[in-house]
Amino acid sequence: MNNGKETIIELEHIVKRYASRGSFFGARGKEIIALNKISIKILKGEIFGLVGESGSGKTTAGRLIVRLEKPEEGRIYLNGSEMAGLRGNALKDFHRKVQMIFQDPYQSLNPQLSVFDTISEPLVIHKIGNANDREDAVWQIMKSVGLSPPDDFVNRYPHQLSGGQRQRVAIARVMVLNPDFVVADEPTSMLDASISANIFNILLDMREKLQVTLLFITHSLSAARYLCDHIAVIYKGKMMELGSADQIIQKPKHPYTKALIDALPRFGMPGEINHYNTLLPVARESSEYEGCPFFARCSVANKTKCSLEKPLLKETDDSHWVACFYAVNGTKKGF
Amino acid sequence: MAILEVENLSVGYHTQKGYLHAVEGVSFSLEEGKSFGFVGESGCGKTTLGMALMRLLPPNGVIREGRILFEGVDLLQKSDEEMREIRWQKIAMIFQAAMNALNPVHRVHEQIAEAILTHHVSLDKKEAFEQVEELFQLVGISKDRMSDYPHQYSGGMKQRAIIAMALACKPRLIIADEPTTALDVIVQNQILKEIMNLQKEFGISMIFISHDISIVAEVCHDIGIMYAGKLVELGSREEVFSNPAHPYTKALLSSYPTLTGEKSRLIPIQGETPNLIHPPSGCRFRDRCPSTKAACKTGEAVWIENSPRHKTLCYQCGTDCKQG
Repeated sequence: MNNGKETIIELEHIVKRYASRGSFFGARGKEIIALNKISIKILKGEIFGLVGESGSGKTTAGRLIVRLEKPEEGRIYLNGSEMAGLRGNALKDFHRKVQMIFQDPYQSLNPQLSVFDTISEPLVIHKIGNANDREDAVWQIMKSVGLSPPDDFVNRYPHQLSGGQRQRVAIARVMVLNPDFVVADEPTSMLDASISANIFNILLDMREKLQVTLLFITHSLSAARYLCDHIAVIYKGKMMELGSADQIIQKPKHPYTKALIDALPRFGMPGEINHYNTLLPVARESSEYEGCPFFARCSVANKTKCSLEKPLLKETDDSHWVACFYAVNGTKKGF
Repeated sequence: MAILEVENLSVGYHTQKGYLHAVEGVSFSLEEGKSFGFVGESGCGKTTLGMALMRLLPPNGVIREGRILFEGVDLLQKSDEEMREIRWQKIAMIFQAAMNALNPVHRVHEQIAEAILTHHVSLDKKEAFEQVEELFQLVGISKDRMSDYPHQYSGGMKQRAIIAMALACKPRLIIADEPTTALDVIVQNQILKEIMNLQKEFGISMIFISHDISIVAEVCHDIGIMYAGKLVELGSREEVFSNPAHPYTKALLSSYPTLTGEKSRLIPIQGETPNLIHPPSGCRFRDRCPSTKAACKTGEAVWIENSPRHKTLCYQCGTDCKQG
């Protein structure tokens, strides 16, 4: 899948577990596997979509990349060098290069900092430029995220901004550092549909202008289709399907991806829509640890095979990877 | 027959900065057994409208004018006591972020039984629990999870429980305000299907409020597009989507990413919604509209009939224009 392009971020067999809190009376809590042997390669300059439901582990993957969490197993590489060993200046440099845009702009901004202070703070922390340079940088980035004219906004505080404006401030704060890699964790899930389009376009522009690579985490395949070059679909911490955006949307192979596509509301007239119908209306009993994670809800599954054996991620056609024993090409059905 | 007819409804709030015109001159009618969807950005007045229909506005909210005819009777003429009889028994509401509406210290089935017992004084507790069991079956929550506490439920299950609660007194009309926001796509789709099935099965009429035009398109027979407190376009789902007439509706549709069709750059709506304490004269969308003209500032609002079931509010063209 390299096509001669460099890999910027690579996740190799990442496992992340959380211990859920035990009971008050001393019973040990269960272990929850948030990510189970996930491997991803992200190419320089692309927007990579990570799609899944809540609890699928998609946010955890993003947090691992920016080092907010540490994996139990596996390695993460930035530009070919492993991240876990970084210390001192190299670590500080890493934090400049790799940034994250959080989901909720109502919580991610400090209410006591003005827009100017919010956006210039990262520059101060990383000791970039003098006061004049910083002011220029803040002005410039504000214009490119559509907070213009900047004079109208610099002295405002988060409570004086709309949700869309707040998220732009959050994006400006990240992009002002000129990072190499940005994790955008559902940046529009708290915003109105009509404002989301704005944020999407800003992300596309940033990729263009700053040559930044993005990991876009979302639960919406239609948003991923609009933004992303490659899409990975994960479910319960397992990689289900991986391929180019066109492959995933137009020729999905995994029953779970098909279920996600089925579930999206469509604009067409009701009569025209065909569904893949890969989702069982009522989930069946299944073991949490054995077999395919999607077995409980899959209508394609073979009862013995899929309940006992975990399907491996395999390449089917050109760079299209699927973890399913019964992966079939999605026909033109849904379209 | 129309179960609900709203005529020229205007609702506002007294705030420190002055009177805020949240909903202005909204008229629509809902046929028995059908569903009507209101779409608009946050702050367009859609939630205020839902609350006003239930007469559940906060203390600073006022219904300035208009009539709300439910089964032919004006709800605004009812006393508080009479209104309490109608709420939940005849009109139920699924509130926004309803999953947080469950009381964390009571078991879920007790809370729903309580709603039933409050409105049906003749029932005893055992009968009420039996009804709860039936309701949970309807919305697809298994029996053995009935007596759990809310924190043991997933988001989707809480939402189902809230729907069960709305159905508890077999209402004629349900007002659902963003019932699936914050749910995953698959769960959202299941809940929407559930709502549609129940609606069909019991012939319940519905008002559906959402910022997401695609969800409303999935569920509703008729659609009203709201902008800055005003209804700007109104019609059957098919007509509004295949032949949108108001520039705002067009803008909403072109700012939404889709799974099908050509992948072209989305066109977001520029600018911000107007201040509703001092709303602009004329068309409220004119500052953000790509096809704005001088008449938009000074013209009279006219409802243009694109077809018998599809109307658009326009300021541009007086009476002789056919297209907004």
